[in-house]
Amino acid sequence: MTWLWFFAKIGVALGIIFSLGPVCIMGDRKISAWIQGRVGPNRVGPWGTFQPIADILKLMMKEVIVPDGVDKVLFLGGPLIVFIAPVFGYCVIPFGNQIGEEKLQVVNLDIGLLFIMSVLSVGVYGITLGGWASNNKFSLMGSLRASAQLISYELTFGLTMLLVVMMSASADPLKSASVDLSKIVLHQAEYGWNIFGGATWWGLPSGLIGFVLLFTCAMAENNRLPFDMAECEAELVGGYHTEYSGMGFAMYMFSEYCSMILSASLIVTLFLGGWSFPYLTDPADHSFLAGVISIGVFFTKICIILFLYIQLRWTLPRFRYDQVMSLGWKTFLPLALVNIGYMAVIGVFLEKP
Amino acid sequence: MLATVAVVVIAVVLIATAVAVVVSDNLVHSVFWLAAMLITTALLYVMLEAPFLAAIQVMLYTGGVITMMLFGVMLTQRDPGSRVPSASEAPGWAAPVALGLGATLLVAIWTTPELAALTPTPSGDAQKIGHMFLDRYLIAFEALSVLLLAGMIGAIVLARKGDA
Repeated sequence: MTWLWFFAKIGVALGIIFSLGPVCIMGDRKISAWIQGRVGPNRVGPWGTFQPIADILKLMMKEVIVPDGVDKVLFLGGPLIVFIAPVFGYCVIPFGNQIGEEKLQVVNLDIGLLFIMSVLSVGVYGITLGGWASNNKFSLMGSLRASAQLISYELTFGLTMLLVVMMSASADPLKSASVDLSKIVLHQAEYGWNIFGGATWWGLPSGLIGFVLLFTCAMAENNRLPFDMAECEAELVGGYHTEYSGMGFAMYMFSEYCSMILSASLIVTLFLGGWSFPYLTDPADHSFLAGVISIGVFFTKICIILFLYIQLRWTLPRFRYDQVMSLGWKTFLPLALVNIGYMAVIGVFLEKP
Repeated sequence: MLATVAVVVIAVVLIATAVAVVVSDNLVHSVFWLAAMLITTALLYVMLEAPFLAAIQVMLYTGGVITMMLFGVMLTQRDPGSRVPSASEAPGWAAPVALGLGATLLVAIWTTPELAALTPTPSGDAQKIGHMFLDRYLIAFEALSVLLLAGMIGAIVLARKGDA
């Protein structure tokens, strides 16, 4: 029975990533068309909804070209490594409330948040390796840019996660913080979402700033459009995946969407109360129906965040590279530090109302 | 039994990757092997029931190695002819030194009396480690952070030599 639960949970987690991925690709194209006043894909299947299937089939049929002079092992390994971050990261995301004795989370690690941080730090390797192994200066420049950007924004990312940990500690009677994601969600279900400052209204500015910081950093981590320094057609051809064709390219592209889904889930878990919603879910209700409802709530929240991502991608102009760097180091990092300082003061001096 | 097998497998992989770091001719390959080695070390920590340490290991070391990889990319030429001197070019006395060190370690391991089996304590707990840092080992913790800060400022000063 435990094994059955285990596989069911893995199924749901992988299902969320791998089924939302193509939906995201589709949504990206449809929403971009809608924003730009075009029709968008509308030939394959009803309203063009089978377009992602056609895309994937096409990419699978294509020959995987390994150019001369590339480092073969690393060239083929790069696209595999980029997949590690989203898939492993999803292990610890709580996607629903408890059903009976089973927590709806693939593994319940005490160190959930740290696990995600460490897995994300491995994700940079895929990009760096792919770019370097291609033996192409444009790829190399693209991957260097991408990794510099990822490393820079990871700092603010980590500091904002720290803010969440502090928020979940501030209302705890024992003032003990936890990096366990399921506990962070339970805490929000009980005391209020972290975007509204968690347990006290004094935390409201901190929560809002933290949410914006995490959202933007997640966008930068995924190399999404306002921050897509890695691929810049005017300067760098296709960036780190210039030399990739067929499935190699498909895996890079798909992993971008997968990590987008992971960061959307992370944002929902950390700031938007995870699977909880006032009057709709009850943390103490462990019945099957309540569990399904909580999964539904979580899924809806992810979809809203993903829509925001896509919509922002097609609304904002892209930054210049130096603007990206100065935004990350000169604006976000100090802001995150001040935010943490403020939250520390709040957490120590203010008891919960 | 299963745990022993796992530890042996991890140890073999660990040593193999560590040797690969030293032996490979290509600096970027070396850095990649180093990252693999550090992740394997994290697995060893997991086997020792210290998940916190494992996560920190991957986060700090493997995350930090990327920076080294970037240096490797920037400092070495990518054309096929260039090689970084590796084990084959090391001076002749390196082997005796390494063998001597290995022998010393082996003797130390063999002569150490067998440790009593530790009862698994939840010391890998992040909360307890945090409390210890800010409580019992506060001075050491602060001294370390000052040291790191000094290193960081030093690096910035060195990097900005021109107009500082």
